[in-house]
Amino acid sequence: MSIYENYYDTMNSVMHTLVRAVEENSRRHESACGAKLFEHLRFRIKDEASMREKLARNGKQANAYHALRAVTDSIGLRIVCLFIDDVYENAALLRNLPGCTVVKEKDYIQNAKPNGYRSYHMILDVETDAPDVDGNTPGHYFVEVQLRTIAMDTWAALEHEMKYKKTIANPELIVSELRRCANELAACDVSMQTLRNIIRDS
Amino acid sequence: MKVLLAEDENDLREVVAAYLELQGYYVVSVANGAEAVKELDRDAYDAVVMDIMMPVMDGVTAMRKIRASGHTTPAIFLTAKSEVADRVEGLDAGADDYLTKPFAMEELSARLRALYRRKRDYKTRLFSFGNLELDTEASELRAHNTIALALKEARLLSCLLSTAGQEWPADTLLSEVWPGEDVSSDLVQMYISFLNAKLASVRANAVIEKSAANGYRILEVSDV
Repeated sequence: MSIYENYYDTMNSVMHTLVRAVEENSRRHESACGAKLFEHLRFRIKDEASMREKLARNGKQANAYHALRAVTDSIGLRIVCLFIDDVYENAALLRNLPGCTVVKEKDYIQNAKPNGYRSYHMILDVETDAPDVDGNTPGHYFVEVQLRTIAMDTWAALEHEMKYKKTIANPELIVSELRRCANELAACDVSMQTLRNIIRDS
Repeated sequence: MKVLLAEDENDLREVVAAYLELQGYYVVSVANGAEAVKELDRDAYDAVVMDIMMPVMDGVTAMRKIRASGHTTPAIFLTAKSEVADRVEGLDAGADDYLTKPFAMEELSARLRALYRRKRDYKTRLFSFGNLELDTEASELRAHNTIALALKEARLLSCLLSTAGQEWPADTLLSEVWPGEDVSSDLVQMYISFLNAKLASVRANAVIEKSAANGYRILEVSDV
């Protein structure tokens, strides 16, 4: 039996409700301003093996209750945008979505991590007509959303590769060069946003 | 401070060396231009004091060779001749200053101090203002976060930070940051926009303001 027991279908529908909201908002924006609000939208329900591994790592029993309550990223969305301002527009949309409450928000764009990581993170509590693991109807499900620019996404992908590779020659050098790259990518993101503002204002 | 003294007249060379050593300088003496060129290739100096009229190789030729090989060591010419043409030739060859013989020892010492001061100022690497730090060597702007700067952005910001609070006319910034380039003051405005966006993105407590007179200055602002 799935670690998510009978809740898998509801999780799926919660995820797709959010995906549709983000897509529709982008379409509205495109017909009004001629530009979409995101470039890629990825979403997933955390796979069985990763969820079991994470629960074990946190000393929790492998069951639906802990998978849906102790862990907040069983449902995940990643919104990858062309420009920094689009990241904040998508975040604003999610914040104001009916039935959607922000549990936690972390702006790693304005507060870059020491290694150079930049992204906007949100943990949402989404209400749905179906019951949840506490037996409540309407039910509540956690969704973790990561929003970032393409440049930030590329950087995160490379950093991820480095983190999972056990044997790297000269890791200190790679880490410090990755940090430099993060600062250069951020410089490009900021310059391109500034140019777009200048173009749109003129 | 280490000084290279090139002078062919033995008496004058010894007197100048003795005086500078008394003033706390470390002095190496040579007797002609060719030896001066060789010595500068061999060792690093903080300043060069050089006579123009010397046997083997004159001071102007030596100066040209020194600059051609990339040495930026500040240099003062000592010249018996007071004709304008000689001084112009010496300065154009790469000297930073000159003294006409006879000269007062205190003046030589003061001019050396002045040169040294300027050399140090030119090399300023780090500028601080409020919570922000500009590292011109790494081309990085640091406050709450760190971001890379383009070369021209770093130069523009270092101008504004070198006299923080003081207004820079757009034309002056153009000639400081884009010397000899045929560009308009719109470019200054665009780079100011880039810098302001980057200042905001590292959450620096500073903003560059434009005045009605088309000048720019950097100001501290409360936490954003």
